[in-house]
Order: sequence, then C-alpha cells, then structure tokens
Amino acid sequence: MFTPDNIYYPRYYVTKKLSPKAPSLIYVSHPHFVADNFALFRPVLRGIVARRCLQRERRADAPTNRKTGKALSRAGEGRGGLALPRPGSARARDGGWGTRTMDLAHIRNFSIIAHIDHGKTTLSDQLLLRTGTVATRNMEAQHLDSMDLERERGITIKAHPVTMTYRAGNGEDYELNLIDTPGHVDFSYEVSRSLSACEGALLIVDAAQGVEAQTVANVHLAMKQNLTIIPVINKIDLPHANVPLTRQQLEDILAIPADSAIEASAKEGIGIESILEAIVARIPPPKPTGAISLQALCFDSYFDTYKGVVTHVRIFNGELRRGMQVKLLNSGKNYEVKEVGSFNPKPYERPQLEVGETGYVTANIKSPKDVRMGDTFTDARVPSPPLPGYQEIHPMVFSGIYPINTADYEHLKASMAKLQLNDSAFVYQPESSVALGFGFHCGFLGLLHLEIVQERLRREYNLDIIATYPSVIYRVRMSDSLVKEIDNPAFLPDPAFVAEIMEPTVQAFIICPNEYIGDMMALVSEKRGLLDHTETVDTKRVMLTCRLPLNEILIDFHDRIKSLTRGYGSMDYEHGGYQVSDMVKLDILVNGEPVDAFSCIVHRSKAESRGRALAAKLKEVIPRQQFAVAIQAAIGGKVVARETVSAFRKDVTAKCYGGDISRKRKLLEKQKEGKKRMKSIGSVNIPQQAFIEVLKA
Amino acid sequence: MMVPARSLRPNAPKPPSAPIGHLYIHVPFCARKCHYCAFYSETANASLIDQYVTALIRELELVAPDLRPRTVYFGGGTPSLLNLRQWERILDAMGRLDLLGADEWTVETNPATVSLDKAKLLESHGVNRISMGVQSLDQPLLERLGRIHTRDMVFRSFDTLRRAGFDNLNLDLMFAIPGQTMPVWRATLREAIALGSEHLSSYEVIYEEDTPLFQQLKASRLDVDDDLACDMFEELAAQAAAHGYRQYEVANFAKHLGPQPLGEVPDRACRHNVNYWRGGSFYGLGPSATSYVRGVRTKNWSSTHLYCQLLAKGQRAFESTETLSPMSRAGETAAFGLRMNAGWPFDEFLRVTGFDLRVEWRNDMAELERQGLAKLRPDRFQLTDRGLRFADLAAERFLRPFMGSRSRF
Ligand SMILES: Nc1nc2c(ncn2[C@@H]2O[C@H](COP(=O)(O)OP(=O)(O)O)[C@@H](O)[C@H]2O)c(=O)[nH]1
Ligand code: SF4
Ligand SMILES: [Mg+2]
Repeated sequence: MFTPDNIYYPRYYVTKKLSPKAPSLIYVSHPHFVADNFALFRPVLRGIVARRCLQRERRADAPTNRKTGKALSRAGEGRGGLALPRPGSARARDGGWGTRTMDLAHIRNFSIIAHIDHGKTTLSDQLLLRTGTVATRNMEAQHLDSMDLERERGITIKAHPVTMTYRAGNGEDYELNLIDTPGHVDFSYEVSRSLSACEGALLIVDAAQGVEAQTVANVHLAMKQNLTIIPVINKIDLPHANVPLTRQQLEDILAIPADSAIEASAKEGIGIESILEAIVARIPPPKPTGAISLQALCFDSYFDTYKGVVTHVRIFNGELRRGMQVKLLNSGKNYEVKEVGSFNPKPYERPQLEVGETGYVTANIKSPKDVRMGDTFTDARVPSPPLPGYQEIHPMVFSGIYPINTADYEHLKASMAKLQLNDSAFVYQPESSVALGFGFHCGFLGLLHLEIVQERLRREYNLDIIATYPSVIYRVRMSDSLVKEIDNPAFLPDPAFVAEIMEPTVQAFIICPNEYIGDMMALVSEKRGLLDHTETVDTKRVMLTCRLPLNEILIDFHDRIKSLTRGYGSMDYEHGGYQVSDMVKLDILVNGEPVDAFSCIVHRSKAESRGRALAAKLKEVIPRQQFAVAIQAAIGGKVVARETVSAFRKDVTAKCYGGDISRKRKLLEKQKEGKKRMKSIGSVNIPQQAFIEVLKA
Repeated sequence: MMVPARSLRPNAPKPPSAPIGHLYIHVPFCARKCHYCAFYSETANASLIDQYVTALIRELELVAPDLRPRTVYFGGGTPSLLNLRQWERILDAMGRLDLLGADEWTVETNPATVSLDKAKLLESHGVNRISMGVQSLDQPLLERLGRIHTRDMVFRSFDTLRRAGFDNLNLDLMFAIPGQTMPVWRATLREAIALGSEHLSSYEVIYEEDTPLFQQLKASRLDVDDDLACDMFEELAAQAAAHGYRQYEVANFAKHLGPQPLGEVPDRACRHNVNYWRGGSFYGLGPSATSYVRGVRTKNWSSTHLYCQLLAKGQRAFESTETLSPMSRAGETAAFGLRMNAGWPFDEFLRVTGFDLRVEWRNDMAELERQGLAKLRPDRFQLTDRGLRFADLAAERFLRPFMGSRSRF
C-alpha cells in the first residue's frame, strides 16, 4: 500500500508565479512533476494551508460533512477517509469496494477544465466534500498539523483521479471518477489523454472574469474529444459577478448553449448539488469497446521509489486484475500486474478494475519512459488492439542548460536524471559549448515546461544554471528534397544545400478589452503573426484568433500582452502546423570566431536587429584586452553589425607599498585563477560570467 | 649562476643574522577621515594618542635588539598630528634604543598640521625627508576628497618645511579623481612641479572597499573613465620628465641631484620603499602595521585599543602571520620588484630569493617580451614603459601558487 505520507492530498493543481521576471508563468503541479524534494512547494503549500484552514472553519458545520471520524487517519487502513457504504447502496449490496461495485450505467468519468483561478480546486473540494468522499476536517488535521518544515521534505504532492460515490436525486448510487488535468497548453497532450479517459467535462468560468483564453483552448481540446461539456458559472457570490454576460459569452465564443450553464459558488457551496445531478444526467456512462479482452488507457503516471512506475488507467474494455499478465501495446513489453486500485482520494488496493472504471496499476515498471501516455494495456495472452489516439510526445522547445559553476556538471547530470523520473516529457542529452563549457541540450513541451524544469533545478536541486535562448524544431528541406529536423542551430546545414526552411506555428487566442485591439494587432504583426479573425466576447472584450510562429512567442509574448493590456489580456495557444519561412542563422563572432552559445535561427527580418542587440550587449561585458576586440553579428557569413571593445591601456595597481603586498598578492592570485577559467574565443579571454550576463539580459 | 637554485636553501636563517635595516611606524590618527581612505586610522583624541605613544615605545623596545635602521618611515594616518610633547617622547625613546641616525628618515605630513616648531624638532633628530599628502591643488576637488587642508596650506607648509631645513621633500598627488578634468590635472601638476620638490608620488585614485568613494561608485554616481586616467598618467610622465624627475616605479618619480652617475634609481628615490619592492625585510610597528622579517610576514591588530592593551602586557600585537614557501615567496618578490623601472637584476634576485629568474621564470619572461611589455637584458629583466602600465598582468605571471601557512592569533 501507499504509505500515508507519500501522498499529501489529491489532485491539487498548485498554482504559483514562478518569478517576478516571468509573471505570466503559472506553476502547475502536474502528476509528472511530483516534488520529491519539498522546497519548491513550501511557499505554495503555505498558501494552500492558509486557504484550507479558512475553509476548514467554514466547513466544520457544513451540512453535508459526514463525520466519518478519526478512523480514517489510522495508518494501514487502505480505505481511510472513505465514506461508509450506505445501507441499500450498490456498494453495500456487494459488500464494499472489494468486488464489482457498479454497473456501467452508474459510472461517470469526468474532468474539470478552467482558466487559472476560476475555481477548479475549490470546486473539486466541494465535490469531494458533498459526496462524503472526504471528511475534510479530519483529513486536513492529520496532514497539515504534522507538516513541520523538516518533515515536509519527504512528502510528495501528487495529483491523481478520485473516485466518489454519489446518491443521486433518483435514489441511486453512482460512481463518479474525477480525472484531473493539467491546465496549460504545454501539456495539451496529457490534457488530451486525460480527457480521452472521460466522457464529460465540467467547464468552470468565473462569473466576474468571464471567458478567458485558456477557457477557449481547453474547450477546444474537450470538443475534439467529443466530450459532453457541462458549463459552470462560478463565483456568483461575488458582487461584480455578471451571470447573464457570462452566459452570453459561452454562447458567442464557445457555441455552448447559454441555458445549459449551472450557476455556482464553489466557495459558498452553492450549486454543488445541481452540478452533481448534471454529471449524472448529462454525461453518458462509459461503453465497452466490444474488443475481446482488456483495453486500459494509460493517461498519467508517476514514479514511486518502492513500486516503480504507478500508472493511472481508465479501463475501456475488460478488466485488470492483480497477477494478470499484461502487455503495453506500443512498447510491446509484457508485465505482471502487482497491484491495482483506486483513489478515494487516498489510494486503496482492489482486486480488479473493471470496465468503465479508473484507477492505478503497478507492475514493477522501472522507468517512466517505458510507459508512454496514451499507450494501452491489454491482456498478454489474448491481446486486443490499441485504443486510438496514441502519439509519441515530442518536445517542442529546446534550450541548452549549463551549470554556472563548471564543477556542478555532475550534480546537474544527476539532478536531470532524477527530474526525468517524474517528467518523462523532459528530454536531455549532453552537449558542450565553447562559451559555456559542458552542459545539456534539453527538450521541453513548451515554455512553461522549460521554466518549470529550470526552476526546479534551481530550487530543489540548488543548482546555479544558465539556459541558452530557447529554440524550436525547424524542418529543413535540402536541395535533394530530403527533410531534416533541426533543433540546434549548430546543426543547421549550409544554406547552399538548403531548399527551404519550415518553422512550427501556433494558433493563439488572445482575449483583451476592446481598447487594446490596436496594440494587440501591432504586437501580433511584430511577432510575424497573421490575424485569422476577431470575435466580440461581450461589449467590452474581443477575442483575436491568430497564427504565429512558435519561436516568436517563446520569449516575451505573454508578458507583452499582459503589460500592454495592463493585465486584462489573456492568451493561450494550440500547436499549429509548419510553414515555410525565410529563416537564417545568425552568428555572433568575436575576433572572427563564432560564439556558439549565441548562434540562433531567426527570421531574416529579425536577424539584423537581434544581431545588433546581442553585439551591443556583448560589448558591455567583454573585458578589455590588450588589443581591440571586434564583435560582429553575421547572417550566413555576411556581417550585419559590428561593435569594438577598445584595447585597454593599463592593468596596474596604482599604489603598492610594504603593508599592501600580501593583500595585493592574494588579489592577483585570485585574478590569475579567474583567468584560467576564462574561455578563449578568437584569442580573446572572456569570463564565462560575461556570456551568462548576456543570456540573462 | 650555474648553482642549482633549489640547493641553496633560500632564506634559511644565516646565523648570526644581521639586524633588520628598515623600520616603518604607523601613526593611526587623522583629524578626519578622507573619503577615499582605507588605511587604518581613527579620529584623534589626546589621551588615546598618549597611550599609543606609550605602547609604541614598548614595541620599539621589543624589536630594537634586532634593528639597526638605515631607513625609517613614519606613515599613517597623520604622523604630523602628534604634538611636540608626543614627538619628543618617541624621539627620546629612539635615541635611548639607539635607533637614530638612519640614512633616510621620512615623516608623512598633512599640509594642515605642519608647524615650524615640529618641523625643526624632527629635523634636529635626524628626520631628513618629508612626504606631504597634497593630493590635489584644486580646492573643490580637495573638498570632494574630504581632505582637511586647503590649497593655500600646501604652499605655506611647503615653505615652512624648507625653512626648517628639509631638502628632500615628496608631494603625493592623485589623478582620475571623480570630477577632475584634464585641465584641472594639468594645473595641479604645473603648480606642484613649480614648488620644486625632490620627489613626486602620483597615483590614480583607488576605489577601496568600505570607503565612501567606493560606495558612490557602486551606486553608479561616479564615472570611471579609463582612457582619461591613462591620458592623465601620460601627462604626468611627460611633465615629470620635462622637469627633471625620473620615474623609478609605477607611481614614483625622483630627481637625481648628486654628483654620482645615475644608478638603478635616482638619488632622491625613497630607499625605504625600494626595500619593499625588492623583497627586503622590515619591521612595521603600530596598529595595523605589517612586518616582513626573514620571510615571515606578521600583521598587527588594526585596533589601537587592542594594540595598547597587548603591549601594556609586554606582548607583540600580532593579528596574523603568514609564512610562504620559498618558491611562493620568490614569486611574490619577483612580481612586486617588476614595478620598478630598473626591473630585476638576476644576481640580486638570486641573492634575495635563492632562485634564478632565468630558470624558473624563463617562459614568463619570454612571453612578456614577446608581448612588448618587457625587455630581457644580459644582466636583468625589466618592464618597458608600456609594460609598467601592465605591471599587474606581469605580476600575475610571476606569482607561483600559494604554499605556506597563514594563521591568526
Ligand atoms: N468569491 C468566490 N471565490 C472563489 C470561488 N471559487 C473559488 N474562489 C477563489 O478563487 C481563487 C482561485 O480558486 P482555485 O480553486 O484555486 O482556482 P483554480 O486555479 O481554478 O484551481 C481562490 O482564492 C478561491 O478561494 C467562488 O465561488 N466564489
Ligand atoms: S589623512 Fe591620509 S590616512 Fe588620514 S584619512 Fe586622509 S588619506 Fe587616510
Ligand atoms: Mg487551483
């Protein structure tokens, strides 16, 4: 069984601003990002603790809060926290969770999707509470009270599906499986996988904020999966809530019938019952696929030191039992099932998972890489075909990560390996740079993912690192029409042999107040984007749908939107296809020699200004030498910008007498050491710090 | 010269060892702290100075047996801040301990604290060189630097010193002071040179940590213009040369007035300082002072109170000691000697350190010569004029990895 403290609390999407420099980035604790070191989450948790403590007081006398008592917290009770079966319920008839609990008609699988802060976490709490799945007070008391700083380090935060039992208005009991999803397009593949384990989704919209860009992107994903969407207009308790307007937006922007929306206040516990009824009434029950044996979709996984990979599955067909021989269809590997179970919200073991249900499975799988999300488990002896929709996860954004202190290389390597255990979408391979020394070329799902990985390396692993400019995968069609994928500017083939270069694009949704349309359009065109169409969201806001090159939104697109719109704009995107673009390689040369860390692939129209800016920044940080140093920016060998660091004319301590000698000698020794660590490019000695300064700027 | 250098057992005490010939005395008091100053000194207070004098005399007594000073240097702080009475006590003690009669005896003075009485007293006891901290002759700059004296005081004090009979005077000047323009520097230079001192020490402003000037620099309120600083140095070198001063060290210029032909250094060079650059031994007394005696470097506590307390108990006031391995010490000696225009005569270097420059530093010398920073002559190695502007670069090359011990008391 899971030990009580390796699970902190179910499916919390921990949200947090990463750094003041990246105000647009939100930390999402996705199952792939389990914190095995707690440091990163400490501030986040404090927020949760504070928030939940408040909630606790309120909930203490909530009418639906069943007092399941202290028993739930006793170690060794796999079912701790579970509401006792009610007499006459389906479960009671079957004698509890051990055996078949529900017929298919009484199972509902659903997710919650929302723009950040619209209330997903709060509503999830309410659902758990209202279904008696968790007696919040006791649950929290146990976990939160014991959370002194030292103990925190061992705790794991984990998001996972939760199984709830709900007695509907018709008197029947239903098994509701809430399958959590990460909330960011970077993880859209995982979101899709999670959604594909469901038949429906709750769409939460903040009544005071209205539809936001992330709402749009999420709804698109859900619609692609043909899910039943139940719109919930949340926070109706707020004085500036505007329910009619929000209804109108749902209809206008998302083509969701306005009258289908349920009004709720997750905070006040209003509308929860209606939501639960709608889940039962509107979301279709799962249907077996009709295949001859087991088909279980892997939609999530995490790594547990003792059990290996714990995979979250949804059973589409057949059943999954302990001891069964199973095959992962995509990898072709066979395993023996060690344990299956569900979450309530704590994990508890069950003898089997049956068709329509969700839960977890362990099978002594050593590496998370062996279980790709979207893969299908089937019966090894009588295999069924794979479930549709499996795709390899491909990193979309690349960047070099280097230790600032070269001595940290091994530490960085070990940390990356550890990180990858719970984030199989993160890939890396060693590379070395003249300017930055030994490091890794890393691939990420997107910018947020990149930022999370960097932040985790810094905070959890205490590493001082520097990342090179992010890059994307270009497709290069060679003269002989062979197509190469290039994710590292160093490997861009000689233009003489290149027929055309294609770059990845995104479809972006920008929602902003009307008065900023002009600014947004200017920004989009500055970023080489094309406006597809604009729609009015309501009388005050518009939504711009546009196509943009991915590489243009990597650096500061979101921040610019936020600052141009004074924080009122929001943006999200989906990956689009490739388009042919006039891309060139920009090199920065120091005394004629390229500085690899600054080579990049850019659009021709941007190359010169980028080159100029880089050269100017380098000029500021390259120390003067005894000779003049030329810094040039070159496009395909042609110099487009030049700066000169003039020769220094002296290097001498003005004044030095008897008492100063020892101190002065130590200074010189230090300087000498520093010079040994300098990189020599074009016989110019440049401290690594100089490159770092430029990359940081 | 063909002796394998390492077999010489460099600096092994040669019994019976000759007494040390150089004495530095630190007087840690100033009327007010200058904005750029990182020396250890505190605001004067008559009774503390008296205690200091007592302790200093005690310290002199402790080292006197090993001392036969050929040069003496009273630096600070502001030695001229001591009153007549205090000076008399020190001079009497030196007489009693047989420490008088140095060939060169310098006392630093602040132009605001020079009096004819004091000057005569010093002169009569054998002080024969006065170094005056002028820094600038531009009144606004003096204020900017936090100096306590005015430009007029410089001219008056200079006259006073001459009247007291001093014929070996040094002026300290600073350039590249924030706000100093080339015309201002030229005017200061012209007027200083017109005074006709025998010696000029002139150096670029140094931003020492923990000084108000450094804080201003860090707060980016000051501009550092390296090119202007270089131009100012060139102006200094040209003006000094045109008026008969010969550069003998990065920041030091002196006249050669005697009948003897010019040797390694002009005859009005400061011998006391030459001893530092050439790696010679010396005793340094007073709070914060450093001694370097037969290869062992010790530093006194930078606290007048502590210094007085320890000496009252008859103990030396060591804060730390450092002993370098012979090779590291030789590297250091090589590095700092290169600050002198005369560079290092090979035989003298061998005598001082026990190592042969041409063996251990052969590649470094060749590389510096290749860069046009130095000249390798038959008898010596010396930096060129350009090389002197890169003396730290050269010094770095000559240093050898630290080996030895450091400890604090
Ligand atoms: N007034 C009000 N605040 C709410 C309601 N639901 C959530 N919130 C608050 O909105 C903020 C974000 O909620 P959270 O559940 O974390 O949003 P998430 O980012 O979608 O998970 C929190 O401060 C909640 O307390 C509601 O119904 N009314
Ligand atoms: S007078 Fe000299 S020692 Fe005293 S504070 Fe000024 S510069 Fe420093
Ligand atoms: Mg949340």
